[in-house]
Parts: sequence; structure tokens; C-alpha cells
Amino acid sequence: MAPQTREQTDLARVFNEHPERRYIMFGGKGGLGKTTFSAATAYWLARQGHRVLVFSVDPQASLSDIFQQDIFGKGPVKIMENLWAQEIDADSHIKAYQAEIRQKILDMYGFSEVPEEIEHYIQAASAEPAMEESAIFDAVVDIVVAGDYDYYIYDLVPLGHALYYLSMAKVYDEWINKITKLREEMREYEQVSKVMKRQKLTEEDQILAELLDIKSRINASSRILTDKEKTAFFFVVVPEEMIIVDTRNAAELFSRFDVPTSGYVVNRVVPAELAEQNVPEYLKNRIAMQQRYLGEIRQTFGDEVLAYVPELERDITGLPAIERLADIMYGGASQR
Amino acid sequence: MGTEQAQSPEPQPKRKRFLGAFGAARDVMYGMASHDMSRYAIRTRASMEHLFILITMGDLLGVPILPPYYSLRLLPYVVPQVSTWKRRMLRERDITDTLG
Repeated sequence: MAPQTREQTDLARVFNEHPERRYIMFGGKGGLGKTTFSAATAYWLARQGHRVLVFSVDPQASLSDIFQQDIFGKGPVKIMENLWAQEIDADSHIKAYQAEIRQKILDMYGFSEVPEEIEHYIQAASAEPAMEESAIFDAVVDIVVAGDYDYYIYDLVPLGHALYYLSMAKVYDEWINKITKLREEMREYEQVSKVMKRQKLTEEDQILAELLDIKSRINASSRILTDKEKTAFFFVVVPEEMIIVDTRNAAELFSRFDVPTSGYVVNRVVPAELAEQNVPEYLKNRIAMQQRYLGEIRQTFGDEVLAYVPELERDITGLPAIERLADIMYGGASQR
Repeated sequence: MGTEQAQSPEPQPKRKRFLGAFGAARDVMYGMASHDMSRYAIRTRASMEHLFILITMGDLLGVPILPPYYSLRLLPYVVPQVSTWKRRMLRERDITDTLG
């Protein structure tokens, strides 16, 4: 796995064997390197001539730091040829959404201002903690449905949030199905009464139309997350006991939500050769510990481990560092 | 004024009068045959409407039921019902509920 490798790594092989997998996600506990891996993967794919969008669904996004450019809330920002990055600004998304709702109320009823009770509700609803996630969820639908890119790289939130995000899709879907059914039944009763009174049939049920639209948006998003053909989900692990245990549990949960796990990438591996050099005891112990857990990782995840990424001497920020990481992860292919 | 009033009741065109009579007959038939059924349908429709709002807008009453992000999208359509519905949900039941 030396940076000079010109051969393709297993990770590159998985990408080359499955060009139909257009939605790429890196998941794992916080701080393990999901964002750097997302950026390096996006870079590698872009260098191969694919149009790539890497976007963050994390409210505390760090793509701006990695690309050393302020891209927060600015829509897709072009980083280099074929590569765009985007950080969704949930707050302004929510504000714009609220404004849209208010305007709709004013337009529909000719009010000059939104009634106090309604305004209170709008405010209270927006203060809900789930609001931010929902707003991002909704924004992601717009991004992926537009279909402007060959690859979409999701820089996912830490595992817990990702699970929430996934279960939300499932819950939303079931919920909307029930509500839609109720709404349809209501419409039947209304029609019965209208027919008996020989009144004109009702105009289209706008609430039902909204519900169906919400449903199709949620379905579009959750379909992608659970699409075995088009989606690849990679777990990021580091050789530490707690991380291995948590990742194993998460992988189990994810498979229960039908998320197709494509493999594992191990990060922060201290090169074992170092132990033979004159290094302090502290580092030797650390390397020994890592070797033990690397064995455990091999045992637990087996063939599904696609790459081992060494602990690098500095942070990955800026394109040259990203390129170097991409070389390590995917081999020399990024040199074209 | 007086003269105008004297002139105003113009003789209705025959066709309109016929339609009026027909309409009245139709209303009588409707009242005899299907008024009750229609009223039942409307009442069912109304209680389902309330049920619907309870499920979707329940957190207005402090019952968090649905993701608020999407309930906001429905809010504009239920603005007129919000006040009457709250009254209906929060008021005490009494004997008059069983009547009518």
C-alpha cells in the first residue's frame, strides 16, 4: 500500500467492476476520516473523467476545510475539472422553506399577515431538532433527482445519524402511505355526497396532491439509499476495539435497513515497519495493539476489507494532499 | 323609487320558471330520498377531516406525531380549520353532542 503503487487496489477494483454504482457513501463513527475518504474518492473519479459531486449531509460539515475553500451553503462549487463539492446549509434552507409556507398562506387566503396562531406553529415546528435533518434530507432529494452528475458521493453523518436518516425514510414512507389512504377515503365520501346533491365534482384534492409529492420525494431518496445495484456503502474503521465492535453492530443494523454494504476501509494504520526502527516504547506498544486489532478486523470483515490507509504525518487538506490520499486508496490510476 | 319598484318584478321567462319548478321538485325528491344519506356522508367526511388534522397537525395540541418538516407543507391548506378544530378537540362533551 505504499504511495508509489501503480497497481490498482481492491477498492479501485470494486469501482471498476461496478460502474453502475453511482451513489457512493462512506459511513462510520465521527472523526474516522469519512470526509477525507469522500474527498479522495471524488478526486480519483473526477481524474478518470467522470462528473462527480461530493456533498455533505452533515450539519457540521468539513468539506470546506478539506478543499480549503468556503463552500458552505453556496450550492455546488467547482473544485477542479469534473469535480464539484457542496455543503448544504440547513438553516437557510429551513428559513427559505418557512418563507415559502408563509407566502403560500398569504396568497391562498389574501391575508396581509400570517395569523398569530399559525405563525407560532411555524416557529415551533422549525425549532424541532429533527427539522435540520429533515431539511437536509429534503435538499438531498433535489440534488440527486436532478441527475446532473455521473457520481454522487455522500459525505455521511456519523453512524447514529445515518441510521436515523435511514429509519426516517422508512417511517416517513409508512406514515405517508397511511395518511394518503385516509385522504383518499375522505375524497370518496365527499364524492358520494356531491353526487347525491348533484353538485359539480370537487376540484383536485390539493392536500392529497401534496402528500403524494412528499411521498415520491421520500421514496426517491430511500430508494437510492437501499438500491443494491446503484449504491455502494463503505464503512470506515480504525484498528481500535470500540470502533470494531460499533462498526460490526452498525453493519448489522444497516443490513436490516437493506443498505448494501460494499466493503470496509481501514484508516489510521501506523506502518508496522516503524516498530523495527528506533522508536519510543510508546509507539511500539501502539503498533502492537494495532496489529492485534488489524488481525481482528481481518477475521471479522475478511475479504470485505478493501484498503488499509496509513496514518499520515499531516492532515489531509488541499488538493495535493487529497491526490496523495487518492493514490494510496486507489493506486496509481489517478495519474490517468 | 316607487315607480321603479312597480316596474321591477318583470315577468319571469317561461323557461326559467319551468326550471324553478323542476328544481323545487328535484329538491323535494332529494329531501325524501337521499338527504339523510348525503348528510351522513358529510358528517363522516367531517369527522375524518378532524381525524386527519389530528394525525398530521397533532403537535398543535402538544402531541408530536409527524415530522414537522412535512407537516409545514400541509399547513397552508388547513389554516381555516385550525381554529374550529381546536375548539372541537378541546371542548367538553355534553348532552347536545348526542342530539342532531
